[in-house]
Amino acid sequence: MSSSGTPSSESPPPTAPQDPALNPTTTEPTGPPASPATVIANHKRKDTSKVIVRFRAIGNAPIMKQNVFKITASNKFFAVIQFLRKELNYQHSDPLFLYVNSAFSPAPDEIVNNLYKCFNTDGKLIVNYCTSPAWG
Amino acid sequence: MHTTSENPVARVIWEGSIPIQFIWDPTETQGRILEPYFVEVPRCSYLSLITSQIRRDFAAKRLGFTSDEGEMWFDYQGIPLKWHYPIGLLFDIHALQAKSINKETMLPLPWRVTVHCQNFPGEKLIKNPTLKSCQDYFMSMIKEADYLRNGSTKKVMNMSKSDQTQLWEGLWSKSYEQFWGMNQKLVSNDGTMARSLPIRIYLPENCPIIQDLVSPLDEQGQPRTLRQILHAAVPDLFPLVDVDVGSSSPVASVLIHGIKPSLETDATWAAQTMAYPDNFLHLVVVIE
Repeated sequence: MSSSGTPSSESPPPTAPQDPALNPTTTEPTGPPASPATVIANHKRKDTSKVIVRFRAIGNAPIMKQNVFKITASNKFFAVIQFLRKELNYQHSDPLFLYVNSAFSPAPDEIVNNLYKCFNTDGKLIVNYCTSPAWG
Repeated sequence: MHTTSENPVARVIWEGSIPIQFIWDPTETQGRILEPYFVEVPRCSYLSLITSQIRRDFAAKRLGFTSDEGEMWFDYQGIPLKWHYPIGLLFDIHALQAKSINKETMLPLPWRVTVHCQNFPGEKLIKNPTLKSCQDYFMSMIKEADYLRNGSTKKVMNMSKSDQTQLWEGLWSKSYEQFWGMNQKLVSNDGTMARSLPIRIYLPENCPIIQDLVSPLDEQGQPRTLRQILHAAVPDLFPLVDVDVGSSSPVASVLIHGIKPSLETDATWAAQTMAYPDNFLHLVVVIE
């Protein structure tokens, strides 16, 4: 995990961030297609744009005073788990379960941007957390 | 009760298998070369589901070694294999997709996978590769897929606990009837159109996986094809139409369960029939 991937704790901007991946007009081809090697290199390049994540405590999990954060979109969900543990001052052995939209628990290697694109609510990815398993 | 046996494509996919040659990491057997362990494994299965039989083989052969305490993990050509991915997907990514990039011509069968019991690569693999964790990730994927189709996980959550377990049990016992008896309702979405199709696209060289909202119908109200979905994700590799068919061959194609389907395939049909048991249609892009 690179240091550029550390979630920042500044207040959220009033509007959702401009994510180029969400703007279909930028994907219109403008010339001959790029070679496979170029396409692969472009996809590997680390995207530093951020998305908004809102944490919500479930059950007896401790509530966070500040619960909205901007997190680097290309991070893996693992970074979200680590970040929340740090915010809550949880030790490695303390049980903590994270869910998206109170529905499912993404694998730690899922890409935050994919979760954001597929499951955001009004421009925020809702992550619920609790100290015992919920929702199956 | 169900019409699952009427689906020959789903059955052939279910019965697909890969011969694997498991080789012990020689640094963990005190320099002794142990005979490899050969086994034919369902493509739809998981490494965690066969760990115990590999461990038994190891126990029978090791003759005094004591290194089987640690967590078992696997690599292919030095790359750790994700235990929460289906085996067929791992093979398509690490053997077939890599082969297309390296311009190798030999089919890498049996698949030579190295077994380790020490130095678990915690920075590359999810920790705790137990059967229980594997089942949890499997069910999470099914819920994520359900959420994409319905905007909630009601369909899965409304299943009884035993019906949910039947999905995993069917996979574990390799029972097509048991698994598809439950899975059919999920993938067919009880006959209603899904909001979005659970699809993941894998580019070569460990690129970030592409997953986006994909509606079953295009802007004209026509069933979306695999080509349209791939074009939206990677337009440079998948032009909407094959320009000058015959004069220029396509630069890329896609693998599902080791085969290259026509890109004009209806994506909804593919998602219902060719998805892995985790309910996702995993598209592995290969460069021609």
